[in-house]
Amino acid sequence: MSFKQWSAVIMLAVAALVGAWVVYDGLTGGAAGPASAVAARLLWAGLVMIVLNLAAVIGAAIVAAIVTRKEFHDEAADERDRAIYARSMRNAYFAVSVGGIVTLFLVAFGYDASVAVYAIFLGGTLAGAVGALSQLVYYRIG
Amino acid sequence: MGKGKPQIVNTIRTLRFHAGEMTQAALAEKVGVTRQTIVAIEQGRYSPSLEVAFRIAEVFGRPLADVFQYQAEGG
Repeated sequence: MSFKQWSAVIMLAVAALVGAWVVYDGLTGGAAGPASAVAARLLWAGLVMIVLNLAAVIGAAIVAAIVTRKEFHDEAADERDRAIYARSMRNAYFAVSVGGIVTLFLVAFGYDASVAVYAIFLGGTLAGAVGALSQLVYYRIG
Repeated sequence: MGKGKPQIVNTIRTLRFHAGEMTQAALAEKVGVTRQTIVAIEQGRYSPSLEVAFRIAEVFGRPLADVFQYQAEGG
């Protein structure tokens, strides 16, 4: 697998991990607090996601370099990489749009603002996961 | 990147063999794409742009039609 594919795997894993934690947090009373507290907690979760992604990509590159005894780094994107990225972003955009619509429905049907905050965050996380999964699929099947 | 059964076939594997078993990595470097892209083109999983197709043909010193062939549906 190329560096780009490994990065997608890591992004997918981190999105699943953080997404699962957010769902768990929301179902175990996290959503009961004020929306501002929920938003602040989820901002930290977003920061953790970014740091985990960076650490995992760097760690994977180091481990791969030790195992293969070759430098494992990202190559410059060519036309196929750019096409796959564009198609994956299209799918991610669709996912985040669905997340936005679901959020609007939740608010429209009287759910608390803190639930809407969870929905927005999960929509973004889902979009990241869909984008990463799409990349893996397109790299495999073309 | 087309849908369904690939209709564009190519002879890159054969041409590489006749070019002194040129590696996919060497061809990728000459063309200016990644090795994974050459693998995908060879396997018919990706149809390159005209520019890349011409560059591949140029590497082997062959006209484009010797490298890529279009197979019409049912043909």
